[in-house]
Amino acid sequence: MDFSFSAEEQELLKEVRSFLKTETSEALFTECGELGHIYGGKEGRKFIKKFASHGWLTPNWPVEYGGLGTSATLAFAIREEMAYVGTPLVFVAAHMAGPTIMHFGSQEMKDKWLLPIARGEVEFCLGYTEPQAGSDLAALSIRAVDKGDYFQLNGQKTFNTHAHVADYHWLGTITDPDAKKYRGMSLMIVDLKSPGIDIRPMVTMAGWQTNELFYDDVVVPKENLVGDLNAGFFYVMHALDYERMFPLATYGSLVDEVAEYARTKIVDGEPLARNPIVRQKLAQMKIELAANRHLYYRLAHMLDHGQVPNYQASMQKLFATEVAQRIANTGMEVLGMFSQLTTDSKWAALAGKTEKFYRTSVVETIYAGTSEVQRGIIALRGLELPRK
Amino acid sequence: MNYELNEEQRIIKESANRFLAESCSTDFVREMAEDEKGFTQEFWSKMAELGWMGLPFPEEVGGAGMSFFDLAIILTEMGYFCAPGPFFSTVVLGGLTVLEAGNDEQKTRILSELAVGNRILTLAWLEEGGSWGPKGINLRAESQGGEFALSGTKLFVPDAHVADTIIVAARTGDAPEEISLFEVDAKASGVGITLLDSFGGDKLCEVIFDNVKVPTENLLGETGGAWPVLNNTLLKAAVGKAAQMDGASQMALKFAVDYVKERVQFGKLIGTFQAVQFHCADMLTYADTIHFMMSHAAWKIAEGLPFEEEASMCKAWVSESHRKLVALSHQVLGGVAFMEEHDLQLYFRRAKAAELAFGDASFHRERVAQSMGL
Repeated sequence: MDFSFSAEEQELLKEVRSFLKTETSEALFTECGELGHIYGGKEGRKFIKKFASHGWLTPNWPVEYGGLGTSATLAFAIREEMAYVGTPLVFVAAHMAGPTIMHFGSQEMKDKWLLPIARGEVEFCLGYTEPQAGSDLAALSIRAVDKGDYFQLNGQKTFNTHAHVADYHWLGTITDPDAKKYRGMSLMIVDLKSPGIDIRPMVTMAGWQTNELFYDDVVVPKENLVGDLNAGFFYVMHALDYERMFPLATYGSLVDEVAEYARTKIVDGEPLARNPIVRQKLAQMKIELAANRHLYYRLAHMLDHGQVPNYQASMQKLFATEVAQRIANTGMEVLGMFSQLTTDSKWAALAGKTEKFYRTSVVETIYAGTSEVQRGIIALRGLELPRK
Repeated sequence: MNYELNEEQRIIKESANRFLAESCSTDFVREMAEDEKGFTQEFWSKMAELGWMGLPFPEEVGGAGMSFFDLAIILTEMGYFCAPGPFFSTVVLGGLTVLEAGNDEQKTRILSELAVGNRILTLAWLEEGGSWGPKGINLRAESQGGEFALSGTKLFVPDAHVADTIIVAARTGDAPEEISLFEVDAKASGVGITLLDSFGGDKLCEVIFDNVKVPTENLLGETGGAWPVLNNTLLKAAVGKAAQMDGASQMALKFAVDYVKERVQFGKLIGTFQAVQFHCADMLTYADTIHFMMSHAAWKIAEGLPFEEEASMCKAWVSESHRKLVALSHQVLGGVAFMEEHDLQLYFRRAKAAELAFGDASFHRERVAQSMGL
């Protein structure tokens, strides 16, 4: 076992850190907060294009497709750094669609999409969930009909979070309604500016926006089909194994800020950090962050050793998001009455961060596979418990 | 980064597993828990023949010159099988303390005997206050013309009743950290050892020192300079205990997983029920994080890097997670494992004993808080 970064990895991380320090702005952080850390906003695009010009958005991609050919470990480490600082963090094109195109797309598709994705020029929106198909992805009903030269799409999507800032929809759609479960779904790339797409905002309790989309006779060119027809479910599952990773450093930075608050805030004549209960709680968060970090880098290790993360990806998602909620709650507890005050409120502490994290953290254990879905995967795949 | 054992480490693990699977049945474990001595000479000698005693000590003193990480692999397997005997006391508590505090003569003399299984050691630390801090050490060592006289009572000294040598932490001054270490012959006049009845299956003793005379040359390290050594021993022992808990977690998980794949209720294998699956998933999550937190701390120690924070994070996380894992195993196994004859109870007892040893989760969280600058 070895728990250190290589010399080259450390060297590159140093550069990334220094870039993140000098090239970020308040405007970027504000936009990020408003968008819930998804990529696609104006400031985010400006920043990420510069960032990606170093190959840092997709460092472990081959050089020919705009990467640096580095280890997955380094890619994971860069994401941790981005999370800690608070830049855009959720990239559908670079981290989900791109790798699937690389694995399963035609040569034309790779040539068309991978370089612009690596350069941060295009962003996709994940198009999976529908009103009747949440955890049960096989229950999709949106329909693509083969019209000879093109596909014609009709149906509805919901909770598609990037839709209002992204360029393309990474859409899961039924292409064979008569096929058995899992065998009639395909993946397509759809231009979100296509006529017939209606994007309607859904505002979350965290303040940021997700969307529902309505497809009415939308035309999609045949060349936008990803891989084979009706193989979409397999691609989606494959992508989840490869791409499910949750850097928790955004919450890690909150722990550091709350610790700093505790060191300086005077309560009953002494620093809050003297309070043994506060000390215990903050130390526990530090420990849980460390445990998560191991589950996170185990995924990178597996990728770097030619293994496909399986239950391990589910475990990291499950663990990270539950820790996230505990961190948000701990932040509220340590700041006490002050934790409720929102950003611009008089007497707000840490610029209202704790209540914001507290609200946002609710969705962590729900999106991208609920904790229950993850526990099921861990039990069935990790421990091979019986299905019947 | 690398999250897997290398080839050499895998061989250590497999050979330890093979030996213990043959020599350390749970019948043997139960017998040894009842046995006054707590181990057999045969079992002890076999471990010595395998080179386990000398594993983390330099070759100059008869050791194998391997790392703390390698030792942690052995301890993990010992935890998996609940291996009885004074191995931990001798190698981790006694041996590593002597290695750090002793002079060349002491190291060569003590460790070369230890390495071949001819000397059993332990460390006498805790007293009536039950505190792991330096202020908890109040047994006095008075300097009297070329020798020291030790008087006081030590508690929870593991395996003292079978030890040849007791390393004693004694107070030699009034400042909080004026602590010294002494090599004391367990048979010396004035040493009174009583085995304490305890629920964990290990052998904890009261050791009374009644004006025990110790020659000055038996002082390990500088007078009054032992606290940093003891603090390192505490942390290494905490990680060593975590390694045992890592192994024990694997067994407690195995009990549950094997059971839910064969137990039928309501006409179905209970492993098909989501409520049971979720418990098992949580157990695997505990087991994996336990393993990584322990491995990271052991790796830091082995690499000679600062390990204070990782060791405390490890002991805090592993202590609680292991207890929770065993509790889930009990829940999944139901009434069957509440029976004395089921082996899970052996792990349940040892889980709590290991949690309490060398600082529990709260103790180590406080240490982490200090390292966070709180």
